[in-house]
Amino acid sequence: MTSATPPTVVVRGPAYPPHEAAGIWVWVEQHDGVVEDVSRELLGKGRDLASRLAQPLVAVVLGAPQHAGVGAADAAALGADEVLVVGHAALAHYATDPYTDALDQLVRRRKPAILLLGATPDGRDLAGRLAVRLYTGLTADCTDLTIGPSGLLESHVVGFGGGIAAIITCQRHAPQMATVRPGVFPQPAATVRSNASERIRPASVDLDSAAERVRVLERQVHAEAGLTRAPVVVIGGAGTRGDFHLLEALAETLDGEVGATRVAVDQGWIGRDRQIGQTGVVVRPKVAIACGVSGASQLTVGISGADTVIAINSDAGAPLFDAADYGVVGDLFRVLPPLLAELRTDQPKAVTAERRPA
Amino acid sequence: MRIVVCVKAVPKPEEVGMNPETRTLDRSKARSEINPPDMHALEMAFALRDRVGGTVTLLSMGPPMFVPYLRLGLAMGADDAYLLSDRAFGAADTLATSYTLAKGLERIAATAGPWDVVLCGEESSDGATAQVPPGIAEWLDIPQATYVSEIAPGDGQTAPAIEVRREIKGGEERLRVPLPAVLSVAAGANVPRFFDPDRRAIAESAEVVVWDAAAVAADPALIGAAGSATTVAAVESAGRVERRHEMLSGPPEETARTLAGVIRAALSA
Amino acid sequence: MATETRETRAMPETREPITLDDARWQKVLDATGGWAAACYQCGVCSGVCPWGRVRGPDAPPVSVRHMVRSAQLGLGADVMPADAPLWLCTTCRLCEVRCPRGVPVTDVVLGLRELAWKEPWLQERVPPALAGVLWDVHFDGNPWGQPPSRRAAWARDLGLAAFNPAAHEALYYVGCTAAYDTRAQHVARALVNVLQTAGVAFGTLGEQEPCCGDAAHSFGHKGYFGELIETNTRLLLEKAGVSEGSKPEKPFTLVTTSPHCFDVFANHYPRLAGVFRPLHYTQYLAELIDSGRLTFPTPLPMRVTFHDPCVLGRGNGEYEAPRRVLAAIPGVDLVEMTENREGALCCGGGGGRMWLETPIEDRFGQVRVRQADQTGAAVLATACPYCISCLEDAIKIEASKDGTPPDPDGMKVLDIAEVAWLALFADQAPAAGRERAARVSGGAR
Repeated sequence: MTSATPPTVVVRGPAYPPHEAAGIWVWVEQHDGVVEDVSRELLGKGRDLASRLAQPLVAVVLGAPQHAGVGAADAAALGADEVLVVGHAALAHYATDPYTDALDQLVRRRKPAILLLGATPDGRDLAGRLAVRLYTGLTADCTDLTIGPSGLLESHVVGFGGGIAAIITCQRHAPQMATVRPGVFPQPAATVRSNASERIRPASVDLDSAAERVRVLERQVHAEAGLTRAPVVVIGGAGTRGDFHLLEALAETLDGEVGATRVAVDQGWIGRDRQIGQTGVVVRPKVAIACGVSGASQLTVGISGADTVIAINSDAGAPLFDAADYGVVGDLFRVLPPLLAELRTDQPKAVTAERRPA
Repeated sequence: MRIVVCVKAVPKPEEVGMNPETRTLDRSKARSEINPPDMHALEMAFALRDRVGGTVTLLSMGPPMFVPYLRLGLAMGADDAYLLSDRAFGAADTLATSYTLAKGLERIAATAGPWDVVLCGEESSDGATAQVPPGIAEWLDIPQATYVSEIAPGDGQTAPAIEVRREIKGGEERLRVPLPAVLSVAAGANVPRFFDPDRRAIAESAEVVVWDAAAVAADPALIGAAGSATTVAAVESAGRVERRHEMLSGPPEETARTLAGVIRAALSA
Repeated sequence: MATETRETRAMPETREPITLDDARWQKVLDATGGWAAACYQCGVCSGVCPWGRVRGPDAPPVSVRHMVRSAQLGLGADVMPADAPLWLCTTCRLCEVRCPRGVPVTDVVLGLRELAWKEPWLQERVPPALAGVLWDVHFDGNPWGQPPSRRAAWARDLGLAAFNPAAHEALYYVGCTAAYDTRAQHVARALVNVLQTAGVAFGTLGEQEPCCGDAAHSFGHKGYFGELIETNTRLLLEKAGVSEGSKPEKPFTLVTTSPHCFDVFANHYPRLAGVFRPLHYTQYLAELIDSGRLTFPTPLPMRVTFHDPCVLGRGNGEYEAPRRVLAAIPGVDLVEMTENREGALCCGGGGGRMWLETPIEDRFGQVRVRQADQTGAAVLATACPYCISCLEDAIKIEASKDGTPPDPDGMKVLDIAEVAWLALFADQAPAAGRERAARVSGGAR
């Protein structure tokens, strides 16, 4: 079935020495002209790093000709000193090979010191491949990025399910690459700048010689991100008495998802695909907010991997309080409205950020 | 179809602590398990073999204590197992790890015949980088598909390619992947089958082939600490294992402010 | 139309003839200890099966008889009905009480499940979720996928001693559910307080306590269950300070929270005989009451009905011990449900059903809590963590059916250990009697 000659290891060697490197690059991930939130967040953080190092912040936008331009304007408004735009039909949708080829060529040509990517499925797919192509270091899912005394990028990461924190550097290789999960850094405010368009520079790459390897047959994007990868899960139990609207508003505000206990699902208040627990979905969000959930082990099994568990229940004896980091004894219909108000006034971005079309 | 599955053993994440004196990771108390995402890669491999026939080979890089976990994979149904084990492989980052595994794959093809597809878990529960599968694909200069949730045999004998379903942010895509290729399997893509106790007895005495750096002709400059591009500058315990059990009381507005702070802090952690 | 239907039934012309497969039949016989052959197809089992109580007239019936017949015919997918009760069976043994041939139907079911794990012609019939539970037992040492290092966390403030054969008369085997389930932990805490009050010298295995293997047993995974028995036997002998084959002067009492763990230790660990004497805690409390070590001086006015856990009652013939504990508490008024003891209706959580989803209309628990409600009892007492979980869920669902908030004074589910705790410590609880166990035993912290 397989070709006669099995694949062999190809050693390419370093792209360029670190002392020749300059510039903070952010790969701006866009789909159909809509820029990912995480890319905006990285431009904000990239601005900080650029100021610390007194180096330019460069945004790189890859996409179909008609879409890349939209993303480029966004990036310019978000503070990039320069926006490199590659509009190419082969880049219309994310695919590992053309995206790796394009970034590889730009990086080798311009020699950035730092390259940041969002830790989305596509971002991780690209970063993992590109780092080996460039023979350089890559850190994953950083919780913070700082500049050390010698000007090195310090990637703050956690491992072992969050139990161990480490700082990782990449001294002998360039660029220093890092991925960051969505929601870690705040989004910078967009500003209208008179010379924004002057900072957008089309760049060309050679993608025609590369044989297309993987073919995208079909791509479907739903409105919802899915329970298992949501950073916040708001869970409703019997205490909601079937009224999930405050829970939905809370999930929406925090870019999270709504889940439910078995009892709530049994009552038909919400679909079976939302059930969390032993016989439902096991979630590992950063925050689980359980509202009117008593805490049968059926449920707690499903959220034991959450970083932080908040329980709101009018019954002070609810077993879930034993499995929670923070507990509020009170009626969820009284506790949630001021919380929503607080979150909305404090983080206008989270509420008003453009949502991708379904 | 000849399938290779890359697996590793990991300490149970919640049981790894820090030795406060040496400031190194303390895994002594931790029970280990097969990296949970790798279990889904194993199941996908077995299910594929059940449908189209072929073999499932296990490949791992790690200390000799990995052998029992490879035997567990054999008890689940794998045909053979290889362990890349050498002190020189130690302290490898994902660059050096993916190189080493790629060299192991090269050697497997040379000695046991060419393989068609390499399956990996989407990430490991300890490092959680998800970088090794694309890294292996790049070292071998072959196609990759990450976060694969389903695999369908492609056009079979005439066109060496398979069709896969891949999870993307907020959706999924269908890809046609020419073989040989590296696939990373999405966590939760399937339910890993339990091992067969009868096979387990046989697996206990089955041979696990152990190769050192020389056996896979690995360049000493590209493996272990020497071949790693990143350095761990500092490690500390972020260690919060127990829930805090903090009860908030007071007027609703005050509680709301505290909760909002807790949520924001948790999201940026 | 009607005639046509009758004719079709009488003459199933579309049906292919069934070829008996001797090899399969031998496997079925071996796996069921020969019992599959004893059934003469009278159908009493199907008639008494609790599934008949919950499946409406439109839903496909659950026929135990049909399943056994399929087994007799070689069990292929061609004869096994798609809705075979193989994995629906809660191993409640109600049919066994009535079977005129004395067929241990549960053993037949578990034997067929064993085949389902092993034989390719049946393999697809194992619900996939069950493999995940076994992996949890294998890697975590418990079927709930919880960290092994947290196993003793529930008792951190109780100062429990590690079992020491030189100093202790009893080993308290907490069990996975009581160790990790936040609701069942309250039962364990209550039991610890009660044992301490009676002056029992006991210890636990703490974080080293292994899973007894009940999940593997109830899933019919004989191979893995055997592996667990082997490892656990070695561990328990070591903890008892005896070598294989030798025995202590007097066996140590092994007290379990769950009747499932008791069942497994009492009936499947032959090499522990004479070293440990497994008892369900209700049996142990009854002994302590009989010997005068445990007394209840203060009355606890409470109307209680008792739900017999299947595995304690029909499974091990123990109906009286929990009732003796209740009878020893002055003020407790025990009212029986119509179906009690040998005739008790199952909660629905046995036979591995705790790890499988059951549609709400198919849950025995709903029927059971209505039966309990009819007694007018304030407390539905039971003695098994699975029963507590199923019955509490059922009460929640019954209560919220009409859309009104649950009645805070409605019937509560308490474990016998919690009732005993209340009788001893009611004055320390924020509100005695009708408060739920969680709040009450929370007062014992």
